[in-house]
Amino acid sequence: MEFTREIYWNVGHGFTTLGPMYGLLLVALVFFTVGFLKRITVYRLGQPLNRTDQRGVRLKSLLETALLQTKVFRVPGAGTAHGVFFWSFFVLFIGTVLIVIQADFTDLFFGIRFLKGTFYKLFSLTLDLAGLVALFMLSGLLVRRYLVRPEGLTTKSDDALMHCLLFAILITGFALEGARMAVTELGTPLAGWSPVGFGVALLLSGIQEADLRTLHSTLWWIHLGLAMGFIAVIPYSKFRHIVTTSANAFLTDLGPTGKLTTINLEDEDIEKFGADTVTDLSWKDIFDADACTLCKRCQDRCPAYATDKPLSPMKLINQIGAVAFSDRTANLLDTITRDAIWSCTTCRACQDICPASVEHVNKIVEMRRNLVLMEGEFPGEEVMAAMEQTEVNGNPLGMGYASRGDWAEGLGVKPLAEDPEVDVLYFVGCYASFDKRNIAVARSFITLCQAAGVKVGILGKEEKCCGEPMRKMGNEYLYQTLAMEMVEAIKGYGVRTIVTTCPHCFNTLHKDYRDFELDVTVIPHVVFLQQLIASGALAVKPLEFTCTYHDSCYLGRHNDIYDAPRNVIRTAGGRITEMTRTRDQSFCCSAGGGRIMAEEKLGTRMNIRRVQMAVATGADRLLSNCPFCLTMFEDGIKGADVEEQLRPYDIAEVLAERIEPVGTEGY
Amino acid sequence: MKILICIKQVPDMESKFKVDSEGIWYDRADLAWRMNEYDEYAVEQAIRLKEQVKEADLTVLCIGPGQVTETIKKALAMGCDRGVHIADADSYKKEPIEIAAMIAGFAQDKNFDIIFTGMQSQDRGSAQVGVMVAELLGIPAVTTIVDFLYENGTIQVKRELEGGSKAVVTTGTPVLLTCQLGLNTPRYPTLPNIMKAKKKELLTVEGSTGDISRMQATAACYFPEKKGGGLVLEGDVAELADKLIQILKEKTSILA
Repeated sequence: MEFTREIYWNVGHGFTTLGPMYGLLLVALVFFTVGFLKRITVYRLGQPLNRTDQRGVRLKSLLETALLQTKVFRVPGAGTAHGVFFWSFFVLFIGTVLIVIQADFTDLFFGIRFLKGTFYKLFSLTLDLAGLVALFMLSGLLVRRYLVRPEGLTTKSDDALMHCLLFAILITGFALEGARMAVTELGTPLAGWSPVGFGVALLLSGIQEADLRTLHSTLWWIHLGLAMGFIAVIPYSKFRHIVTTSANAFLTDLGPTGKLTTINLEDEDIEKFGADTVTDLSWKDIFDADACTLCKRCQDRCPAYATDKPLSPMKLINQIGAVAFSDRTANLLDTITRDAIWSCTTCRACQDICPASVEHVNKIVEMRRNLVLMEGEFPGEEVMAAMEQTEVNGNPLGMGYASRGDWAEGLGVKPLAEDPEVDVLYFVGCYASFDKRNIAVARSFITLCQAAGVKVGILGKEEKCCGEPMRKMGNEYLYQTLAMEMVEAIKGYGVRTIVTTCPHCFNTLHKDYRDFELDVTVIPHVVFLQQLIASGALAVKPLEFTCTYHDSCYLGRHNDIYDAPRNVIRTAGGRITEMTRTRDQSFCCSAGGGRIMAEEKLGTRMNIRRVQMAVATGADRLLSNCPFCLTMFEDGIKGADVEEQLRPYDIAEVLAERIEPVGTEGY
Repeated sequence: MKILICIKQVPDMESKFKVDSEGIWYDRADLAWRMNEYDEYAVEQAIRLKEQVKEADLTVLCIGPGQVTETIKKALAMGCDRGVHIADADSYKKEPIEIAAMIAGFAQDKNFDIIFTGMQSQDRGSAQVGVMVAELLGIPAVTTIVDFLYENGTIQVKRELEGGSKAVVTTGTPVLLTCQLGLNTPRYPTLPNIMKAKKKELLTVEGSTGDISRMQATAACYFPEKKGGGLVLEGDVAELADKLIQILKEKTSILA
């Protein structure tokens, strides 16, 4: 016998079936199109932004993120269930499309049937299993949402609609399959190729054929109606994420990671800076709200949220959407609140994990820009004082600019003004220049360079703050003033390679200064040290120690540097016990986003929380790669009262203790 | 309403100071410069008054070498309307009465209703220039104000007195007020105002002390002599008391 089935069995293939069916599809598509067109008019309220360049890269992102669900799968549990559900539902969709193609096109016009034989058997089995898996995954998600109720998960009527509709579509599908099989396939070898339908058919086997046929045609039309209803309701419900979240994978920011827009301060026509209404944001910022699925991954990882500050990245994104779709003239800053806007450390934990390619950080910075540049507002007077100090002395600490190079006294390191012939320029940064604890790191780094025979120069009193904390706090004007000065100074000496011990300096010089035509290789010290060790220039004697390692946000998530620091630590003899929040899941020390200049007045202390995570590893050293982190850990260790258990160090410090004098081999 | 604000550019107090070659003032090399803190309160108060009365014209005045225009620009960015730079590369050598004479020389025919100055400068700290300007112009002066109210041509200020007590003074115009810490929190200039400030009038004029001549001269400028360091005693109270008595007996004549 031929393994196949009669498509449109029982319901008929005449106009009485196809007419209403395609009529319903048309209605559904009209609803779908009108719904999205209306939303598009709202997206268009935003400022222009080109997100359709590099289409090949964008298409790849779309396929990986939407079809392969790579970002969704990053979080096991709910993510796995969603990903597998998506795949199985996608298989069902493809199956339905194949049926339509054969029945209403190839067979109808050319008499070609491909759903037969072995292919049909596999087709039938695949679809049946896909339906079963979809039901199973959906049940799991239902249990999670309505019984387990994870903390922070927002459940709305939309979610109930989605669950009901999807369950109804899957169940009616199996039921009508069962009714058909009870009449046509029971007792044939084909039945086994639709195991779920076979099971349902067995349940229905006692019913008369006429009743089965009535049941089948009724279910068929219900199933069709539900499917069309599903299409129609997409733009009007959370189902819209099927379209918007997928589209966002295409429209995603292609980097460099974390790069902010640079305001053209030469343009005298600009009268408003930053955003205090949705129309000041880009269209993508409004679209992001529609792409958000309220999965709360961002909120779960936000260090501000975790320490009881009034910021939830998820809530913020949806507030922007709510304003855009209601009163677009409303003041965003009042809606979101200044406290929430100032609480962000720009650690990127939200954006990194977001399966919907939502960009949180730039929105927050845009709103900060409005507060700072238009209102002269800061999270506190201490921040305003730090800004003024930076204007006067080039550092937020308020130290006299002329003593910036004093830390290097006695090390034989000269400013480029005295000796520009160097291998690398060490861009020291404010903390390593002035803060006693971090001067120790700078001196260790110089010791390492000298042991490796690298000639290092500094800018000395010509160096100023790179401007990163000011920029992230919204002070684009001060940032650009500093950036232009620094670029001019660096270019003036014809520097080819810059090394930093501060990831904030690194990120700024490496990415942001490109806007001011700085085209120099910039290397973070941990990577530079790894290179020196690998090349044999730096000999290190491993002395065993136990430690845990903290990935700073700006070396980690902002620049994907996770292995180099760990390799260096291991070379030094370190045994790393990882914290639970590690690598791309690392928990901010509290000092990013310019918060190094601000007092932490709201909620609990972020640095203490991180220190407690480090203490929990049992290691007695907390290693990091960032002066802000080190400062916060010194403080947090005192705050958590664990000075006896844990000491914080920069990687350069432990390495400098283990320098193997060259030429001592054989002794 | 015409308002004059007198400001001074001073070194940031965190700078490393050195005595200059003449030995009468600090060396100007390697210093970071900013607006005198007390003058910032003066600028802020003038701008707030303008915001209150709407109709006001704020002139900000600064004496010194060319570099002081940077500080005038900051005041313009905060909200002053026009800047006047009295060019004088040697202003740091001038005594308070000479500075006051230069300001009075500029202000005498301008009919300013209110003149705001800082209570004193952070570098010289004489606290004399403001009152001397008022004296030369023949108008009243109220010093060290920490609170300012303006209503229908009447000004009510609070002056800071010794021991934390305050005096309430009511005055009309014209008047000169010197501003003290606590009067207000100076604003951070907004970017549109920084842009606008670039186009505001900034006149450089020659200064003249008129027929006023110096009445005092700086003889020398030097760092305080290093004195012995402090001593921190630790231990319980009874022990501490014994140690203290021991030290007082050995090192001083108090208990002799």
